[in-house]
Amino acid sequence: MSLSDTAVPPAGGPSGLPAEPPARKSSPSAVTKELIAKAGATRRRAGAKFKIRTGVICTLLVVVPIVLAAFLPLPDPSHQDLAQRLLPPLTEGHLFGTDQLGRDLLSRILHGGQVSLTIGVLAVVVSGTIGIIFGAAAGYFGGKLDSVVSRLIEAQMSLPLLMMLLLVVALFGPSIPVITFVIAIAQWPEVARLTRSMVLVEREKPYVSAARILGLHRVQILIQHVIPNVIKQATLVVLLLLAQAVLLESALAFLGAGPQRPFATWGRIISDGQDYLTTAWWLVTVPGLVIAIMVVGVNLLGDGLRDRPRRKKKGA
Amino acid sequence: MTKYILKRLGQGLLTVFLTVSTVFVLVRLAPGDPAVAYAGPLATTEQLAKVREQFGLDLPLIQQYWIFLQQLFTGNLGTSYSFQAPAIQVVLERLPYTLTLATASILLTAVVAIPLGVWMSRRPDTKKEFGVNVLTIAGQSMPDFWTGIMLLTFFAVLIPIFPASGFATWSALVLPTVTIAILQIALISRMVRREMTTNFAAPYLTVARSRGVRNSLLTWRYAMGNSAIPVFTALGTRFAAMLNGVVVVEVVFAWPGVGSLIVRALETRDYPLIVATVLVTAVLAVGVQLLIDLAYPLLDPRIRLGKAATA
Repeated sequence: MSLSDTAVPPAGGPSGLPAEPPARKSSPSAVTKELIAKAGATRRRAGAKFKIRTGVICTLLVVVPIVLAAFLPLPDPSHQDLAQRLLPPLTEGHLFGTDQLGRDLLSRILHGGQVSLTIGVLAVVVSGTIGIIFGAAAGYFGGKLDSVVSRLIEAQMSLPLLMMLLLVVALFGPSIPVITFVIAIAQWPEVARLTRSMVLVEREKPYVSAARILGLHRVQILIQHVIPNVIKQATLVVLLLLAQAVLLESALAFLGAGPQRPFATWGRIISDGQDYLTTAWWLVTVPGLVIAIMVVGVNLLGDGLRDRPRRKKKGA
Repeated sequence: MTKYILKRLGQGLLTVFLTVSTVFVLVRLAPGDPAVAYAGPLATTEQLAKVREQFGLDLPLIQQYWIFLQQLFTGNLGTSYSFQAPAIQVVLERLPYTLTLATASILLTAVVAIPLGVWMSRRPDTKKEFGVNVLTIAGQSMPDFWTGIMLLTFFAVLIPIFPASGFATWSALVLPTVTIAILQIALISRMVRREMTTNFAAPYLTVARSRGVRNSLLTWRYAMGNSAIPVFTALGTRFAAMLNGVVVVEVVFAWPGVGSLIVRALETRDYPLIVATVLVTAVLAVGVQLLIDLAYPLLDPRIRLGKAATA
């Protein structure tokens, strides 16, 4: 930590320093406001706040229009108009321009985004649930269950993952359930590993022994007492996994393993636009920016929440 | 030591075996008939029957699996449908390209990410560090295929400095390597920063500092010495993952490696080729993982393989 030489007591609190310079009689402490403002802890808090705010703004900037896509005055995403092919952004009422078939790019991005987001959220819910259950059970019960789960996690981490995902999607068809399932399977080890390590720590705490002495069943202790103590951090990881899920889905779609119905998703739009790189830059640039803004938002949010000091000063 | 290596080799073989078995089962479970894939949609019933017989697709599943295992151990995975050559040979021909790309990317990553992470850990919570921190978040948030296309547009189409695709000259290596490295640098530098910050806060470092050890020595010898293992592990794991995970970037730059091969094999449902690719990449990934573990004692003399190590 950087605080080694400038230990700062909480703002406004009495420092208890015996020798006080006479020049600063008005202040009870030798620690000035400027020093506090410069301290690492203050800056860290400000940084976390900035990250959370920017993260929320970026995420909402993308998510809100997607959620409201049906209510916005937009052309139908699959409506083709060959007279209006490859219009650049901001022309004839097309904010993001049109694609090679004269479809409105903004509308395509928003409707495709609905599919991408649905897949991402569903996948993360599934992987989060599986990961927390398996990780918590492995960490708490230990023994054979733990070694089975740990081996499974290890084995999966050393597998050629993207290749297996592609394989499953190629064989079983790029439908939304298949892709969701595939992403969830790819992500559960991350959650499980973290939950397991947190439960391992939690298990040794006195309240667990107390509950055990009171005669509670092991499963009940795990569900009622241990899991609530780790769930907050686990969900934070799940939030970061959402960003990964969206990226993974777009990569699959880019490789042609994305859902085609009801709408093409972001990766697919980008891969279609590749053929028009030199004539219509917006077909690739804009959807990519949209993905990047959203994923940056989610990542900033997750990072900011993690950096934030654990204990709030004003009692939550 | 020998016992440890043997044990790890056994585990690795088991992983490879499970992987290819999974692929075998998946391929058989999937809707769609491999015989149709081979003979084409216009094939007659007789032709299909002949193809099934030729590839043993009419046998019971268990028996097919037995034959598959025999093929696996002899290394003869059959003929690729689309290349009309032994599948394993097709994969091995592509392998050097992927290895080159992965090696270049991991080297670039290490050279940039380690100093960057150290730099960040040396001045935490300053404005500059915060800026770099946010940049690394952006770096890990951009879809790699998109970064690739953007780099391609700028440095191959608009300003034609580098070739756009394929691997004819060494300069073709630059853009794909940078594309991969952007993401990896973001991830690894953050990890280095985390490790180093933990070590800077450790009591042994305070003791060393109070003894008057120079700052550079504190950073590179003391803190880095103790961060070396996790950082090395992360780099190694990333490298192992790249051997089969650079699919997307290979496709963008039409890089003639294993990644673009698997996409083609999947598109054409070239089953022998799919199995061969998965086998080769799984063996490689497991092998690299093993090498990483074996290198631990070199980095940290306290580690004795097979004793403290708990797999």
